[in-house]
Amino acid sequence: MRCSIPAVLVVACLLAAPLATRTSAHHSFAAEYDANKPVHLSGAVTKIEWTNPHVYFYVDVKDETSGKVTNWAFEMGAPAVIARTGWTRTTMKIGDLVIVDGSQAKSGRPHGNARSVTMASTGKKLGAGSSQYTEPQ
Amino acid sequence: MRTRWLIGAVTAAVIALFMAQLAPEAQAPETGAPPSTQGGRGARGGRGAAGDQGSGRAARGGRRGGRPARESKPTPRWPDGRVNLSQVPGIKGFWNVGTGSPIGPAGLPGNLTVDQVPFQDWARALYDYRRSRGGLDDPHARCQPAGGMRFFTVPNGMEIIDQPELQRIFIIDGENRDWRRIAMEPGRKHPPEDQLVPSYFGDSIGHWEGDTLVVDTVGYNEKFWFIRGGLPHTRFMHLVERFTRTDFDTLKYEVTIDDKGAYTRPWSGGWNIPWQYENYDGSPGGEIHEYFCIDNERDSADFAGR
Repeated sequence: MRCSIPAVLVVACLLAAPLATRTSAHHSFAAEYDANKPVHLSGAVTKIEWTNPHVYFYVDVKDETSGKVTNWAFEMGAPAVIARTGWTRTTMKIGDLVIVDGSQAKSGRPHGNARSVTMASTGKKLGAGSSQYTEPQ
Repeated sequence: MRTRWLIGAVTAAVIALFMAQLAPEAQAPETGAPPSTQGGRGARGGRGAAGDQGSGRAARGGRRGGRPARESKPTPRWPDGRVNLSQVPGIKGFWNVGTGSPIGPAGLPGNLTVDQVPFQDWARALYDYRRSRGGLDDPHARCQPAGGMRFFTVPNGMEIIDQPELQRIFIIDGENRDWRRIAMEPGRKHPPEDQLVPSYFGDSIGHWEGDTLVVDTVGYNEKFWFIRGGLPHTRFMHLVERFTRTDFDTLKYEVTIDDKGAYTRPWSGGWNIPWQYENYDGSPGGEIHEYFCIDNERDSADFAGR
């Protein structure tokens, strides 16, 4: 199998690009979210708030055991921040199936900080402008 | 084999980059930076290693879209020779504030480390407590105004509007559409202390020292954290800020914190603020966007009861 050097570099750059975007929320990640409570959830989008200080979206998540459906809220970066990682207002629509990776709020509510969102229909994965790694001094 | 080696090397580079992103600034040791002493600002300047870390990271933000780094144009001037601290005709943009700190490595080479800051004991204890709470108590986390120098660490663009004919300078921030007014009348004094209403941005008077705008501010309230990390201050805080456009793309911001209520002596720090040619979201334009923190603030519901 041949693998040209430019292709390798392009792939590497694509992998690195979302990580290289440093973001700064109006609050510290640790003030609200618990890095030790990772979540990996999927479901249908029920609402999207394309607003400052954070874009919020809501997902109906079904517990496979009990069948109970919980509506989760997920925080992303500000609209201008996640635009840099490829988001537009129409990237995600109500009813879309998404897979969300992130961290749950320390409060224990069904509320999380999204690190990435994968569109189930296309497999496209987008960074979500998480403030997790930008703790200031 | 050669390809494999390359893949390995590139993968290692990507991992290194990833790890660099993960490294919390607060824990990054500052090496080789001499302890700064009061009045030691002159020893700073230029863009040394630590300064480059702060400005370089932000400068990437100023050149989003994968464009190669370019040499900055020289410091722009008005027709009368005065330095221009903001837009010039034909070139849009704004100062991409948001990543600097007056302490630690996200700033100028001479910045103090936390342990070098001349805290009074109570102030150090409060700072450590605030840190231990993960920023939970930060008023700005509840969208209160970003007072004092915090104004320059919130990430939604900043412009400096110089109106010499009116002897004033406005500094406008995309963050909450906040603004500061710098009175430039020669000989202007602050109001007497008993007439100062404590406020988030205080009373600012300015003058030029060569190409550097020097702004003196008193009259702060105690309702904000002046940097995001939570350094304490009191109503005695007096800031002397120095703005120097060292080249077209760089605004050097230096500040002396003089607060007899919280520190044992005045101390200084600063960082470089890069010029951003595109909109903040990376699209063409170079214009400040609207950002109201309170618009859809849903975080405080999680803060309650903790």
